[in-house]
Amino acid sequence: MSDVKQQDRVKVLVPVDGSANSDRVIDHLLNELAGGAALELILLNVQIPVGSGHARMFVSADDVEAYHREEGLQTLISAREKLDAAGVKYHWHVAVGHIANTIIRFAQEQDAGRIVMGTHGRTALTHLLLGSVASDVSRNAGIPVTLIK
Amino acid sequence: MLETALEPAFWVSVLQIIAIDILLGGDNAIVIALACRRLPEEQRKKGIFWGVVGAIVLRVALIFFALQLLAIPFLKIVGGALLLWIGIKLLQPEDDEAHGKIEGSTHLWGAIRTIIIADAVMSLDNVIAVAAAAKGDLSLVIFGILVSIPIVVWGSKFVLKLMDRLPIVITFGGALLGWIAGDMLLGDAVVKPYLEGQPGWLKYAASTAGALLVVAIGIWLAKRAPRPRLPVEVVASGAQGDREHE
Repeated sequence: MSDVKQQDRVKVLVPVDGSANSDRVIDHLLNELAGGAALELILLNVQIPVGSGHARMFVSADDVEAYHREEGLQTLISAREKLDAAGVKYHWHVAVGHIANTIIRFAQEQDAGRIVMGTHGRTALTHLLLGSVASDVSRNAGIPVTLIK
Repeated sequence: MLETALEPAFWVSVLQIIAIDILLGGDNAIVIALACRRLPEEQRKKGIFWGVVGAIVLRVALIFFALQLLAIPFLKIVGGALLLWIGIKLLQPEDDEAHGKIEGSTHLWGAIRTIIIADAVMSLDNVIAVAAAAKGDLSLVIFGILVSIPIVVWGSKFVLKLMDRLPIVITFGGALLGWIAGDMLLGDAVVKPYLEGQPGWLKYAASTAGALLVVAIGIWLAKRAPRPRLPVEVVASGAQGDREHE
């Protein structure tokens, strides 16, 4: 892929939630790359903000941020190890906010051309109760969204 | 409690208390986790356990006193008004101010102290709401707390996700607080005598009015609040092979 210049690559935002589904997303991307696709991968884990209202009075901003950072890094490990093992270059970020909104806004900020993500999260139960972040994102992102099952 | 356990009214109150504990108690679980973060691994579980125990004992004591206080004339009116306000506040978007200076403690007692003080302060809204829903029955309060502890302590992530995905849950919570507030207002020692001989639906009318009031004002205020479009809050970044950034 070294023959492809940086600016010719499609920036792909890859939201990761640490589930088996995210692993399949990475597998899919590795396949695309192996097939010669020129992709610049940007991994993103979104943490739901924990420090609400009163909690802020008792916990310093640094502690909350450190907590989010640790949880996010933990979640990204599996996807990163897969990419590292395959020797693929990528950037990774941990952000805090409403999950679907943050994915969409971050895609805009990073000027991503595509989003590739799993259709469902950790468990069938959460999916049933909470619906799918993926469907929110694919409806509102305004750029092509590839959903991996 | 055994006989009352068979009545639907008992279960309605229990469900109300559980809903309140989950909606207004999610914060507490976060503070507990954060307060114990800097403890050495082997002390962390101890800190969480004793922090939770202390917070529960304190909570029951606070609600006990609240139940006594609510028998005093006018105080249910005050309580009802406070509940309406708490409900409206619940519907407002989070603002990003007022972070405390309290550092996560590195010793066990410090962490437990933080948890208990935080719980006392953070639970005031919860205490008022639960006391109102319990209508004087402390056994109900204890039952409700016992049921909601595992949800709040171990399910806080799920509750966060629930609120992230289904904001309607919060609207429902606000409506519930308004409903209880309406009921509470009519139960005040001063108001009660005037209601003798009034039709039974009056209670439900007051509750419905309370719920509608909270939702209407809550949504209106939330719409008015300016929401600046800030960039995404990124707390960590890096590139492949960039492990020292972690």
